Amino acid sequence: MLDDLRYRARALFRHGALEDELEEELRFHFACQVDKNRRLGMTEEEAKRNARLAFGGHEMVKEDCREARGTQFLELTLQDTRYATRQLWAHPTFAIVMILTLALSIGANSAIFSVINGVVLEKLPYSQPERLARIFLSSQDYPKFPLNPFDFLDFRARNHSFDSMAAFTRGDVQLSDGGEPVRLNGFGVTSGYFRVLGLQPELGREFDFQAEIPGNGLQVVLSDRVWRTRFGADRNIVGRSITMNMQPFTVIGVMPAGTEHPGNEYHSVAYGESVDVWWPFSFAGNSNNRGSHFIEGIGRLKDGVSAERARAEMNAIMAQISREHGGDGSGWSVLIVPLATEIVGANRQLLMVLLGAVGMVLLIACANAANLLMVRASARLREIAVRLAMGAPRARVVRQLLTESLLISIAGGALGLALAFGGVRALVSLLPADFPRAHDIHVSGPVLAFTLLVSLMTGILFGLAPALQASRTDPSQGLQKAGRTTTAGRNQGQLRSALVIAEVGLASVLLIGAGLMLRTFLNLIHVDPGFRQDHLLTASLSLPHAQYKSGEQTAQFYDRLGTSLDALPGVVSAGAGSDLPWSGYDENAGGFTIEGKQPTPHQQFHARYHMATPSYFNAMGIALLEGRFFTQADKKDAPTTLIINRTMAERYWPHEDVLGKRMSFEDAPKKDSDWMTIVGVVGDVKDQPNSSAAEPAFWWSEFQRSERDMSIAIRTSSDPRQAIDGLRNTVHRLDPTLAVADVKLMESVVGSSVSTQRFTFVLVGLFAGLAMLLAAIGAYGVIAYTVSQRTQEFALRLALGAQRMALLRMVLAQSARLAVIGTVMGVVLAVSLRHVFQSLIYGVSPTDPIILSGVVVLVLTVAMIASYLPARRASLSDPIIMLRAE
Amino acid sequence: MTGRIELPQGTLDLLILRTLLTGPQHGWAISERVQQVSSEVLTIQQGSLYPALHRLERRGLIKARWGSSENNRRAKFYELTRVGEKQLEFETEAWHKLTVAVAQVLEGA
Repeated sequence: MLDDLRYRARALFRHGALEDELEEELRFHFACQVDKNRRLGMTEEEAKRNARLAFGGHEMVKEDCREARGTQFLELTLQDTRYATRQLWAHPTFAIVMILTLALSIGANSAIFSVINGVVLEKLPYSQPERLARIFLSSQDYPKFPLNPFDFLDFRARNHSFDSMAAFTRGDVQLSDGGEPVRLNGFGVTSGYFRVLGLQPELGREFDFQAEIPGNGLQVVLSDRVWRTRFGADRNIVGRSITMNMQPFTVIGVMPAGTEHPGNEYHSVAYGESVDVWWPFSFAGNSNNRGSHFIEGIGRLKDGVSAERARAEMNAIMAQISREHGGDGSGWSVLIVPLATEIVGANRQLLMVLLGAVGMVLLIACANAANLLMVRASARLREIAVRLAMGAPRARVVRQLLTESLLISIAGGALGLALAFGGVRALVSLLPADFPRAHDIHVSGPVLAFTLLVSLMTGILFGLAPALQASRTDPSQGLQKAGRTTTAGRNQGQLRSALVIAEVGLASVLLIGAGLMLRTFLNLIHVDPGFRQDHLLTASLSLPHAQYKSGEQTAQFYDRLGTSLDALPGVVSAGAGSDLPWSGYDENAGGFTIEGKQPTPHQQFHARYHMATPSYFNAMGIALLEGRFFTQADKKDAPTTLIINRTMAERYWPHEDVLGKRMSFEDAPKKDSDWMTIVGVVGDVKDQPNSSAAEPAFWWSEFQRSERDMSIAIRTSSDPRQAIDGLRNTVHRLDPTLAVADVKLMESVVGSSVSTQRFTFVLVGLFAGLAMLLAAIGAYGVIAYTVSQRTQEFALRLALGAQRMALLRMVLAQSARLAVIGTVMGVVLAVSLRHVFQSLIYGVSPTDPIILSGVVVLVLTVAMIASYLPARRASLSDPIIMLRAE
Repeated sequence: MTGRIELPQGTLDLLILRTLLTGPQHGWAISERVQQVSSEVLTIQQGSLYPALHRLERRGLIKARWGSSENNRRAKFYELTRVGEKQLEFETEAWHKLTVAVAQVLEGA
C-alpha cells in the first residue's frame, strides 16, 4: 500500500523523468529486436520494419504503461486543463467577464469571512475561553446591571459552579510619574482576576486576597504599554513606588503585551488592549448596605458546568442573600452570559446578515456564470457533437466541461483572494471604532481554505447544469444543426430564464436591504439628539481624592474652572457635567420618594442621575423647557434643587405643573432639608442615538452634590479646536497636577455613534450594486442571445410587414416579464426575511412601501436598459441581409 | 504463428516473476527467455510486457534500476523484491493446483 502510494507520488512529481525513462526503455527493446532480426539474416531495412511490426503501437504501449503507473487520473486532468486553457484563451472576453465577476463575488465573500473568522470564530486570547462567563444582575427595567460588591463576595463564597470568580470596575487614575500628568484607563480588580482569565503577569504577581482589605489598596499592576512608554521597560520596576492620584502606589506586577480587556458594560472600555493599569478593588463600607451596584462579575465555569446550570445556582444564592438582608428580592435575577457572546454581542447578527448578503451576490454570480456557459455551450454544439460521435463517453465530455468551469472559478478565486487582501484592510478601516476584536481580522489560513472551498463549490455549482445539458446533445442532430443558427432547446431556454429570474430576485432583496440601511442611516443622522453638536469641544477631568477631599473643594474648583473658561476669547459658554450624551453613562437612582405619590408594586421610582454646573446646559445646547437652570446660588447650604428631563416630568407628574414639586431620598422625609425641589425641566437626550426613548433623568447642582470626575463642555463661536490650548492652560493654571483627558469634538462623537449604521449601509449598498450589475449582465446576456437566435424569425416578420416598433416592444416585453417575476419573488423573499433586518434598522419598517416600490421601479428600469440594445438590434435588422445570411 | 499460444489471463505476471527468480533482467531478456524456455511456444507481446512490468513495480513485487546491457547499452533491469518472491511462491503453488485440477477434469470426465 505504502509502496503503491510512493510509486504513484513519484510518478506524479517526476512525470517528465519517467516519460523519458519509458521512452528509453522501449527504444532499447526495439534496438534489441532489430539486432536479433539482423542476426537472423535480414537486411537493415527489413530488420527495422519487422521490429516495428512486432512492437505494436508505440504510443499505445506508452499509454498502457502510464495507466499501469496509476497516474492516469492526473494525466487526464492535465490534458483537460490544457484544453480548457486553450478554450478560454480563444475566447478572452468571455473568460475575462466570467473571472472578473467571480473574483468580485468570491473576494467579497472572503473579506466578510475574514471579519467573521477574526471576530466570531477565532478563540479569545484567554486560556479555555469557552469556560469564561460574565455575571450580571437583571430586572425588568435594567436587563443588564452591575453587581453590588458584597453580593459579589457572597456569590464567590457560596457558589459551586465556578472554578474561580472575580469582579472589576472602571476607575481611571492620574499618573504623574515619568512625564506630564496623564489620565490612564484603570480598572479596580479583585484578587485572582487575571487567574480567572488564565493570564500570567510578565513580571511580578497579581493581587492576593490581602489586597482586597481596605487600606491595602496602594498597589498597582501595569500594562506592557505603560511600562514601556512611561517607565522605559525597567525590568526592576516591581517593588518601586509610583505616584498615581497624588498617592504612592507600589508596582507589584507588569502584564505582557496582548493582555486583552474582556470588555465591560458599566463606564465601558471596549474589548482589546485598552487598559493601562489595574489596582486592587477593596471591599469598604457596611456589608449590609446592598443598594449600590457598580462592579462587574466574570467567572471561569467548572469543567462541564453549563451557563444555564450556573445561572440556576446563582439565582438560588441571590434569593438567599435577599432573604438574609430583608429585601423582597423583587425583580432581580442573575444573568450569566458566555464571554464570547458578550464581546461579540449584537455585531454577530450584523456579520451574519452581511455574510448572507455576500452569499446572495455569489449565488447571482453563479447564475450569471451558468448562463454565460450555456450560451457558450450552444455555440460549441458542433464541437461537443463531434466528440460524442467519435465515441467519447458522456462522462468524459461532462468532465471536460467541468474542468473548464473549475478553471474559471479557481482563477476567479485566486484573483478574489487578492481583492480580499485589499478589501479586508478597507473593511477594518471602515469598522466602527468600538467594534470588538478588530485587530484580530486578517486574511488567515481559515480564510484561504474558505476561499478555496468556495471557489471549488462555485465552479461545480455553475458548471454542472450546463455541462450535463451539453453532454445530452444528440450527436447526429448536433452535427446537422450546428452549421446553422438554431433556436435553443426549449429546456435550455426555460433554465436560462429561470436563472435570470433568480438573479433579479436576489438582487431585489439586496437592494431592499440597502434601501432599509440607507433609511436607517439617514434617520439616525437627522434624529434630533436633544443637544447641539456643532461648535462644541468636550474633555474630561478627574480630581484626585487626596487633594479634593471635601465637596466644597471640588465645587470651588469647577466653579473657578467654568468662570475662567467663560472668559477665554471665542468661548460662548463653558460648563461641567457628570457625563456627556452618548458616552454610555448609566448611573441610576432608584427607590426615591415623590411627594404625594405612591409607586406601583414592584415598580420603584427610578431615574438616571447626573450633576451639572450652571453653564453645562447652555454649553451642551440642551433646551430649557420650563423653570430655570442652576445658578451660583444653588450651593451647599441652600435648599437642594433639581432639574429633570421631559420624560421624567411626563412619567411621574403627568399633566401637572412640575415646578416646585419635591422628591426625597429619605424613606420618611420630615424636615424641609430632606426634600429636593424641582426648579427646571430640560429637553430629552437619549442614551444612544438609536435608543427607542429617553430614560427619566434628573440633575443635581454640582455645587450641592459634588462629583470629582466631570466632563467639560465648551461652546465656541468659531472652530472649537482653537479652544483646546486655552482649556489645557486654564486647567494647568488652576492645578498643574491635573491631566486633561478625552479631548474630543462633539461632532466626531456624533459621527462615530452612527458608524455601525454607516458601515452596514456602505457594505450592503456595495453588495446590492454589484448584484444589480450582475443581474443586468445576466438579463442582457439572455435577451441578446435570444435575439441572435431569432434573427431569422425577425427578418421574416419584417419581410412580411411587421412594424419595427412592434419587434422592439416584443423583445422588451420578454425582458420585462423576467424582471417582473424576479422582483415580485424578491419582494416576497425580502418580506419573509423582515425579522432578520428588524434589529439592524431604525425608524423604518422592513416592509416600507416606498423602498419596496422604489426597488421594483429601479429593477424594471435596469432590466429595460439592459435589454434595450439587443431589442434595438432586432428591430433594425435588415430582412434581406438576414435571410440571405442563411 | 503456428505452435505459439496466447497467454491465458493473469499468467503473464507469474512468468515474469519466475523469470526474474534467476536474477535481474531487462525487458527484452525477459521476453526472449520466456520464449526460449517454453520452446518457442509462448511469446510475450511488448504491448503487454511493459505495462505489466510497470504494474508489478507499482505493486512493489519487483524493483527497477538502470544498468548496462551485455552489448553495453543503458537498460532498465528489473529484480524481484522479497514481497515478489513470496508472491511467486504463492502463485506457483496456486498454478500447480489449478493445472492438476484442470487436467484431472479433462482426463477423468
